[in-house]
Amino acid sequence: MECVFGLVGDGFALIAADSSAVNSILVHKSNEDKIMVLDSHKLLGASGEAGDRAQFTEYIQKNVHLYQFRNGIPLTTAAAANFTRGELATALRKFCFGQSPYFVNILLAGYDKEVGPSLYYIDYIATLHKLDKGAFGYGSYFSLSMMDRHYRNGMSLEQAIDLVDKCIIEIRSRLVVAPPNFVIKIVDQNGAREYAWRESIPSV
Amino acid sequence: MSIFEYNGSALVAMVGKNCFAIASDRRLGVQLQTVATDFRRIYRIHDKVYIGLSGLATDAQTLYQRLVFRHKLYQLREERDMKPETFASLVSSILYEKRFGPYFCQPVIAGLGDDDQPFICTMDCLGAKELAKDFVVSGSASESLYGACESMYKPDMEPEELFENISQALLASVDRDCLSGWGGHVFLVTPSEVQERTLKGRMD
Amino acid sequence: MSRRYDSRTTIFSPEGRLYQVEYAMEAIGNAGSAIGILATDGVVLVGEKKVTSKLLQTSKSTEKMYKIDDHLACAVAGIMSDANILINTARVQAQRYTFAYQEPMPVEQLVQSLCDTKQGYTQFGGLRPFGVSFLFSGWDSNFGFQLYMSDPSGNYSGWKAAAIGANNQAAQSMLKQDYTEDLGREEAVNLALKVLSKTMDSTSLTSDKLELAEIFLLPSGKVKYQVCSPEGLTKLLLKSGVNQPAAEPSA
Repeated sequence: MECVFGLVGDGFALIAADSSAVNSILVHKSNEDKIMVLDSHKLLGASGEAGDRAQFTEYIQKNVHLYQFRNGIPLTTAAAANFTRGELATALRKFCFGQSPYFVNILLAGYDKEVGPSLYYIDYIATLHKLDKGAFGYGSYFSLSMMDRHYRNGMSLEQAIDLVDKCIIEIRSRLVVAPPNFVIKIVDQNGAREYAWRESIPSV
Repeated sequence: MSIFEYNGSALVAMVGKNCFAIASDRRLGVQLQTVATDFRRIYRIHDKVYIGLSGLATDAQTLYQRLVFRHKLYQLREERDMKPETFASLVSSILYEKRFGPYFCQPVIAGLGDDDQPFICTMDCLGAKELAKDFVVSGSASESLYGACESMYKPDMEPEELFENISQALLASVDRDCLSGWGGHVFLVTPSEVQERTLKGRMD
Repeated sequence: MSRRYDSRTTIFSPEGRLYQVEYAMEAIGNAGSAIGILATDGVVLVGEKKVTSKLLQTSKSTEKMYKIDDHLACAVAGIMSDANILINTARVQAQRYTFAYQEPMPVEQLVQSLCDTKQGYTQFGGLRPFGVSFLFSGWDSNFGFQLYMSDPSGNYSGWKAAAIGANNQAAQSMLKQDYTEDLGREEAVNLALKVLSKTMDSTSLTSDKLELAEIFLLPSGKVKYQVCSPEGLTKLLLKSGVNQPAAEPSA
């Protein structure tokens, strides 16, 4: 019942993700951060198998850092997205002892000076597409429809957060085992940072 | 649902008088959910050769990236562009390399040969080439496309008429396939220029 | 001479030198020269062709300049067969980067990657180093136009103007005197032709003894690598006045 969704606004991109870590019927914790800050101007929101999610996002983060240390310049958002897709695509066809496919769906948001904000949808079988709004999981049925109705190009941050809240309300009211808490992170020219939590029950 | 229909696609290429047209739909889906309505399936290899890739989007992207790799090296070493027939053989051999773990794609290749004679072909996911003198189709809407093209095609069409025909055939066929649609992309290639046009059809 | 320390690449001499690498650089000192100059709006590469028989029928359009990728080219001095291997390696490395990142490879990273390959042949495997020096020129979005020189040891550095091959010392000092920061492409071409004419051994400069290539940006923003045609080169030589036979040597 994981939900990750994101959108691009005027000079920023944001990702919202639920924050429950669940195993069958048990909720381990409800303040799990599923949006990794890849570098100063990139966010990686991931949903899927828990172990794969944590391991793969950290692998991508370290490789993005290594590129920057080796070459003195950061990767662009597009390059980071294509690199991520390449890693997923390579692992997709490996069924040997060392590796198996990663079951992680990813939304990669970033800000580049030349290009502005961008959002990339990368699903677990390594399909890459640049989008203005995207979502994964059961929550996508609700958040995509809300965004289809209310999203416009170049929304301000207030309008975008308002739309995110509308989506969260919809997910909470209509999804049968809806996650109670969400985290929202944004990235703009000032960098990638946490914006807010939306908690309906106190986190444990 | 078969793996070839996971993302949904429709591709068609038609031969005209010293010109060819290649068209695709624009939907990217995940089974029955639509993720994007501006997905590109047709790629330019060089001014006179275009390839459309239907089937699983992730394999289409990987295959395209590998073809660019091989073609660029060919261009640098030979100091000339690849002929369409040669390119088709290259695609076929790359696909057959993965005989026991194939790319789930069906390419449609269209090009103008040395003497500006149009060349089209399609192949299955293992690289079995199918040359044709009139039209080739592939994708989840391929059965509808066969019917539409068979009835609408005429030999030796001028570019404008060819564009009309291929657009009508594409739009009519994708309307009968729930997995493809949301408009179309048409490339019309003559010896002197390339026209790229977007079609608006039933947006569902 | 320490002859006993020079037969293997993989050992240092007592003075701390790698003789095989130095001998490789000697081999390049006998090859046709090449000059590269960084201008404000492009990079200019000029090369001296050593093989100019009229019986020659090559399939390749150039002997000294090679395109590595759409935004990168190089000029070569040294053993051509070694150069072909390295150029192929560079091309594959550039394509591998584009395959992974879907972007053109930054120029310095390509030079670094190729130099890492060259360094391998000076440290392990027992194989001799490549007898080639390169002048890499290109454009990327991080640093704009760039010019790099690399040698058989695997060292490289960025230059505003550089010369490799025969008489490169003389050419380099001439460039040091005459280079200015604000050269446009045309002036850079003139300077390169002037320097080459003074350092080349042959008595007169004709278009069949030279190659000229430029990297610049088209109005559309794309990078263009252009080799000058022989007719165009003749015109340029006339214009810059360097195709006069060399002056009589003074008594």
